[in-house]
Amino acid sequence: MKIEFEGEALEARPGESLAATLTAHGIRSFRTTERGAERGVFCGMGVCQDCLVEVDGKPNQRACTVKVDRPMKVRREGSGRAPAASGPAAGRPPITIEEIPVERPQVLVVGAGPGGLAAAYAARLAGAEVLVLDEGSAPGGQYFKQCSAAGVAPPDAQHQEGRRLIDDVLGSGVTVRSNASVWGAFRPLEFAATKPGGSFLVQPEQAIIATGAFDRGWPVPGWTLPGVMTTGAAQTLWRTARRLPGKRVLIAGNGPLNLQLAVELVAGGADVVAVVEAAPAVGVRRVREIAAMLANAPRLVADGVRYLSTCRRAGVRLINGSVLTSVVPHSGGLRATIAGRETASFDVDVVCLGYGFHPSNELLRALGCEHAFDPEQRRLVTVRDTRGKTSVDGVWALGDCTTLGGARVGQAEGTLAGFAAARALGCALSAEAVRLEAQAAADTARHRRFQRALWRMYRMDESLRVRPTGDTVMCRCEEVTYGQVEAALAEGATSPSEIKQETRLGMGRCQARYCGPALETFLAEQTGRSQDETSGFAPRVPVKPVSVGDLSNPAGA
Amino acid sequence: MHSPTTSGPLPRDIQTVVVGGGILGLCVAGFLAEEGREVAIIDAGRPEGTTTNAGSLHVQMQSRFMRMHPDQVPALESGLHLYPKAVEFWFELQRHLDADFGLKASGGLMVAESREQLDFLAKKAERERSLGLDSKILDRDELDQIAPYLGPAVVGAELCADEGRLDALKANTALRRWVRRVGVMVTGETSVDRVSRDGGRFKLDTSRGTVRAATLVIAAGPGSLTLAEPFGLTLPVESEPLHMNITEPTDLFIGHLVQHADRMITVKQLSSGHVVIGGGWPADLSPSEDYAAVRLSSIIGNTSLAQHIVPAIGRLRIIRTWAGINTPTGGPGILGPIHGAPNAFLAIPGEAGYTLGPLSARLVADTVLGRRPTEDLAPFSPSRFR
Ligand SMILES: Cc1cc2nc3c(=O)[nH]c(=O)nc-3n(C[C@H](O)[C@H](O)[C@H](O)COP(=O)(O)OP(=O)(O)OC[C@H]3O[C@@H](n4cnc5c(N)ncnc54)[C@H](O)[C@@H]3O)c2cc1C
Ligand SMILES: Cc1cc2nc3c(=O)[nH]c(=O)nc-3n(C[C@H](O)[C@H](O)[C@H](O)COP(=O)(O)OP(=O)(O)OC[C@H]3O[C@@H](n4cnc5c(N)ncnc54)[C@H](O)[C@@H]3O)c2cc1C
Ligand code: FES
Repeated sequence: MKIEFEGEALEARPGESLAATLTAHGIRSFRTTERGAERGVFCGMGVCQDCLVEVDGKPNQRACTVKVDRPMKVRREGSGRAPAASGPAAGRPPITIEEIPVERPQVLVVGAGPGGLAAAYAARLAGAEVLVLDEGSAPGGQYFKQCSAAGVAPPDAQHQEGRRLIDDVLGSGVTVRSNASVWGAFRPLEFAATKPGGSFLVQPEQAIIATGAFDRGWPVPGWTLPGVMTTGAAQTLWRTARRLPGKRVLIAGNGPLNLQLAVELVAGGADVVAVVEAAPAVGVRRVREIAAMLANAPRLVADGVRYLSTCRRAGVRLINGSVLTSVVPHSGGLRATIAGRETASFDVDVVCLGYGFHPSNELLRALGCEHAFDPEQRRLVTVRDTRGKTSVDGVWALGDCTTLGGARVGQAEGTLAGFAAARALGCALSAEAVRLEAQAAADTARHRRFQRALWRMYRMDESLRVRPTGDTVMCRCEEVTYGQVEAALAEGATSPSEIKQETRLGMGRCQARYCGPALETFLAEQTGRSQDETSGFAPRVPVKPVSVGDLSNPAGA
Repeated sequence: MHSPTTSGPLPRDIQTVVVGGGILGLCVAGFLAEEGREVAIIDAGRPEGTTTNAGSLHVQMQSRFMRMHPDQVPALESGLHLYPKAVEFWFELQRHLDADFGLKASGGLMVAESREQLDFLAKKAERERSLGLDSKILDRDELDQIAPYLGPAVVGAELCADEGRLDALKANTALRRWVRRVGVMVTGETSVDRVSRDGGRFKLDTSRGTVRAATLVIAAGPGSLTLAEPFGLTLPVESEPLHMNITEPTDLFIGHLVQHADRMITVKQLSSGHVVIGGGWPADLSPSEDYAAVRLSSIIGNTSLAQHIVPAIGRLRIIRTWAGINTPTGGPGILGPIHGAPNAFLAIPGEAGYTLGPLSARLVADTVLGRRPTEDLAPFSPSRFR
């Protein structure tokens, strides 16, 4: 299939994302910001809003979420050129909320990742009527994302495992709707969503939130350059379209996913120059953790060992106790510098950042679910009981959006929450269901033990945190630097909200997902103020940008 | 964003205290401090917030309101002369502070979708001209010359050249810096629960202790109601929670403040490129009545109406919504000394209070300083509500 980018014809694989097509042709810069900076794919999952392009005259489309399913005309996005008023919908009569269709399933599941799918399956098995909404173009979430591009290598084991789960869910009579973005949650229990045809509302009896997580930012000089992307973004290019982010790749971060990515990219033919891990090397001091991990998830440990040996065989350097400190453009590519136990520079096409995750808890917070602050991980944790029940009646939460636990924990917690939500509806559980529930409870405990040991092993030395320079960007969307924030503090601003007003930090399209946590950390350092559950920007509706055209159009009409 | 660190130290005894740090309180405090007064602002929430404004500079009369309340038209007309002066004063203040408020007086359009609506606007424009406003009627062809962004349903509009917009974020930031520079003490997250006389001074019982002051200015928006009670005043102020929407930025293409002859809407594009959509759609008041929450039906109804009038908005995405509490006074503002209570003053601006804010504050500050204000404040006197 052929698409056109800035007048140039490009070969695309049907079904892949537009970001995958452009990346495959070496195009990394997709737009120019108001200040003249270049931007491209960063998060790869629709969160950062940096990959905006114009598609067939429609401005501000996220290339990472646009599926290439037809020949399309794509243009780079400027700072936002004035939209054209043309099109069939120009100036359609205004509507009111009464015209928006309302669906009333017994159970609504938001998110079709491992957690949401497992929850839907369990609730359905117990007899509930279940609707699953996911903004991705296919179910699977992060761990089980399926290959969407046609004509590429056969699915691997992880794809297949996901496929089985998805097929089980579809076969059980659950309604799964992809391309459906839930942009608002309102009390007592109402959800506002859009799908390609327009808007709809959902008023379920029970709501299960399984919206996952997104990669944290790593604000160092150059982290906004095209070619610097998250580990998740690079992995999505590979797992959904078998496209490499670039030829020469540096991976830097903290945690095991970086190794997994290295292995996948090596298999795809990339030259991964190094994996730079912030945690110290695993030594004898870690026997306790290794024993705990082996006892709870031997297969995952085996995977880890395999990743390490594959990397070594492929000549990927494994550097521990060091972090990325800057990226600068360099002869058509990037020069990335690391510091810590080892100081070095690498000339590459692409730098992948995998410094942990932030939970996508916006819907839960909009509903008023109680959260606690985890000082070690510097993020909010949803308060819930062992079955996923939150502080708000009828709202259940599980998986990565509550606290980071990985796919296995998500799946087991999903099963528990699905059954519990069905119970709350008055459904009776069969003997088989009760057995599955007990199994899931045991699995949750086991995988949590594994995760705890894993993260003790991967604990990074806090002194490695990079002190950003004044011209380092803190807020990607509004292009606000650390220096500007410092200046606002010097002017007498004391609170995050004043800094927001002074600098516009946090007011952009990504809704402060990256700069919010960065600002909190910075303020804590600067003012000695401790963070708590009230820190951070309060979630604002819409939790994801929503087009006025979609808002004005009742779905199905 | 929630933060306890805006509070700052609480003054114990001070010459002048201003209760409320909205546009009124901020400006009154600044003007007084510039004249050498010792001034503190005490605000229950976050002072200098931007929730109660959207940056429209309103001048022309609201035809929708006139049609719904014909009996109140004379009161509207009696205060009308203040609006163009208030816009002018915003420019003056911007010069005075040497700041950039993103001010633009590019005119405001009130669009009509029917002959009948346009005829009503024509009569309104004629009245406004006689009261000194620069208003005229444009037909569709004329509109196409200056506002090609309007949708096909629009048949004509009234153009009021005095209207415009500003970037409230920029303006409030500049004002906040100014009041700090001239020495105003700003205390947030401290509510004033009761005001009483204590000898020759005022005693304010606050959530963080007692404050005494020789001069008291109440600029507390909806909170003014209870604060003015001890002075024997029953103010007709209400708490009106309002909803606003804002799109992602795009190149400037909407040049005017756009309103509708018969529907609730304002649309304008800020200098930053964001399109702000509002116009009086309801939000929800929290049970404690101290903050407002956005309302789903307003997101849909308000933005849908916006794309009907300016179709290109249909292609933009809403990135944020917010809500604030407006303070309708059922007529003109409430400005000036409280008779029978020496050294106590009220500062509540009335309809389109952000537009009127700085000028109203100047007038109140002048009376506090014992000067003759540039406008006759009799129609705004708090004594109306004794
Ligand atoms: C980018 C990324 C890459 C990862 N890669 C790996 C890996 O390679 N190996 C590994 O072991 N673990 C990986 N993880 C971790 C692992 O995938 C997760 O722990 C696991 O997928 C969590 O499952 P979940 O169901 O909680 O959430 P997810 O799998 O993240 O699923 C959440 C789903 O919710 C949907 N969603 C979110 N918000 C909305 C909304 N407002 N409206 C509608 N839908 C919404 C998303 O589209 C997504 O499909 C990755 C995580 C991320 C974030
Ligand atoms: C969403 C919205 C959008 C608007 N948009 C526009 C516009 O575009 N153009 C325009 O001209 N007008 C607009 N208005 C109207 C205008 O903003 C208001 O009339 C004006 O801002 C009022 O300013 P104020 O200083 O009198 O009151 P407020 O801004 O309401 O400030 C009052 C302050 O007093 C404090 N307070 C209250 N009680 C107490 C107490 N007991 N103790 C201590 N502190 C107290 C409050 O915390 C508050 O900060 C809008 C209003 C709203 C709600
Ligand atoms: S890369 Fe597309 S939204 Fe982040």
